Amino acid sequence: MLRCLYLFFFIAAINCGICFAAKTVIVKPVVAKHVTVKPKTPPAVLKADSSFINKRGFNKADLQAYGKQPGFSYKERNDARSWWTRFWRWFWHGLVAWFLGLFHFDKFKGAASYLALFFKLVQYLIILVGVAALVFLILKIMGIDMFYIFRRKPQVADLAYDEQLENIHEINFDTEIEKAVASHNYRLAVRLLYLKSLKQLSDAALIAWQPEKTNTAYINELTDVQQRSSFKRLTHQFEYVWYGGFLIDAEVFGRINGMFQDFKTAIV
Amino acid sequence: MEDEIFEQRTNMSGLNSAVEKIKASLAQIIVGQQDSIDLLIAGILADGHILIEGVPGVAKTLTAKLIAKSINSQYSRIQFTPDLMPSDILGTSVFNPKTADFEFKQGPIFGNIILIDEINRAPAKTQSALFEVMEERQVTIDGQTYKMQEPFTVLATQNPVEHEGTYRLPEAQLDRFLFKIEIKYPSLQEEIAILTQQHQHNTVNQLAGVESVLSGDEVVALRNQVLSLHVEDKLLAYVATIIHESRNNKSLYLGGSPRASLAIVKAAKAIAAIRGRDFVTPDDIIYVAAPVLRHRIMLTPDKEMEGITPDEVIAQIIQKIEVPR
Repeated sequence: MLRCLYLFFFIAAINCGICFAAKTVIVKPVVAKHVTVKPKTPPAVLKADSSFINKRGFNKADLQAYGKQPGFSYKERNDARSWWTRFWRWFWHGLVAWFLGLFHFDKFKGAASYLALFFKLVQYLIILVGVAALVFLILKIMGIDMFYIFRRKPQVADLAYDEQLENIHEINFDTEIEKAVASHNYRLAVRLLYLKSLKQLSDAALIAWQPEKTNTAYINELTDVQQRSSFKRLTHQFEYVWYGGFLIDAEVFGRINGMFQDFKTAIV
Repeated sequence: MEDEIFEQRTNMSGLNSAVEKIKASLAQIIVGQQDSIDLLIAGILADGHILIEGVPGVAKTLTAKLIAKSINSQYSRIQFTPDLMPSDILGTSVFNPKTADFEFKQGPIFGNIILIDEINRAPAKTQSALFEVMEERQVTIDGQTYKMQEPFTVLATQNPVEHEGTYRLPEAQLDRFLFKIEIKYPSLQEEIAILTQQHQHNTVNQLAGVESVLSGDEVVALRNQVLSLHVEDKLLAYVATIIHESRNNKSLYLGGSPRASLAIVKAAKAIAAIRGRDFVTPDDIIYVAAPVLRHRIMLTPDKEMEGITPDEVIAQIIQKIEVPR
């Protein structure tokens, strides 16, 4: 039933729309009539100019004064330039002209001046590079590291090492050992004994003495098994006394000294 | 024979026994790499964090896991990825609806032995989360400071920086690692030994047979023993000179820090202990100088372009300094 009612209203609505469309009014266009109006022009009247004219002119004296100033001089004074300057002028002018002609820039107004400026900059750049190369060459010849100049100087650590300044080939070991034993400084005496053994090995060309090498490095340099074993034993004693801080007395020193004497006999 | 005159002031037998046990435990699986293993043990004894670098497949992670498993303490592993957040490492406060309050949930960093695998796959933001915990052994979150339990050691692995998907670690973090151990390819003989040993074994269960040889408390005790070893003043000056020279070396853009000086002394003590001495010699210092310094120093760009390595520069620096004798 409800569906039938909806259908009725729908059909009624469509009919009303069709009727409204049928009643649309058609308007006919109205054609306008053209009317021509002639304007009334007043007669021309010519007015006379009665204003006062103040005629002004240039002061010749002032002009001459300005003309004498160098800033207003447009003449080129080639005669004042040196042959070197004239050469470079000729070179750059030629280069500019050649460059303009090469890429047909001569057709563009102002291109020559920009190009001349560019080449001027290039000229200074070349001079700068030349000077830098010269400075670099001089520093190189003198053996100065250029980059090192600008770096902070290394601060040398102030280490209170008397031992660092020692050269085992310049020490009189026998005298120094006697002094150390006399003052009961057995620790120092063992150290001097060890340095003396290093000198003996170096003199016998069994090791290459260098302060930067460790004791193990010297042990490894020895090719003879017996010598290596003996020196390893001495190194062990030295390390316990010197690096280990073990205290020794006259009796222990006597035993260690005996080992060093045996080693000396073995390598000689 | 050698000890007939001098006897050790410190009883090193316990320490030497522990070292031998760890070495034996590692030797069950790891072939070769003796220097790396020595340095790893030295790092643990010196209370330092260790960075292990190597190309893929050279058993970096396995070595670190073995070391961790040798110590009976809380072990945790963090796999670093590019999307890892600081809270994923440290922990975060979580709201508890029962108590109507926030509770701090600890992250995996709360442990004793922490293995960070592929550490350089996470960006700097994540790395900075480790700064406080690595140096100060504590984590501060929401105004609350949480102390780490001793022993606390970070073992991190990384691929070389030039590999795909990796970031260079911040200098501040690198400085917190005691060692950077470089794991090289095995020699031909070692490779054959690896194949002989491993080809019939399941690689997944390799660690099943490894047992702990030290407790956490024992590690702490050994660390205290190492700390008390004797270092001659001249050797301290020698270390200071090496570091000082690194700061003024023309090949270096960044030299060693005071933390590096301390690290060399600590590491040299640990190596001396492993070698059975209760005092340090120049050989110990030279042995640890490269692993301590190689990740802390930075080469100048020109030296880097020339292909010079940090190890070569460190060797040059040491060769210039007279050994105190």
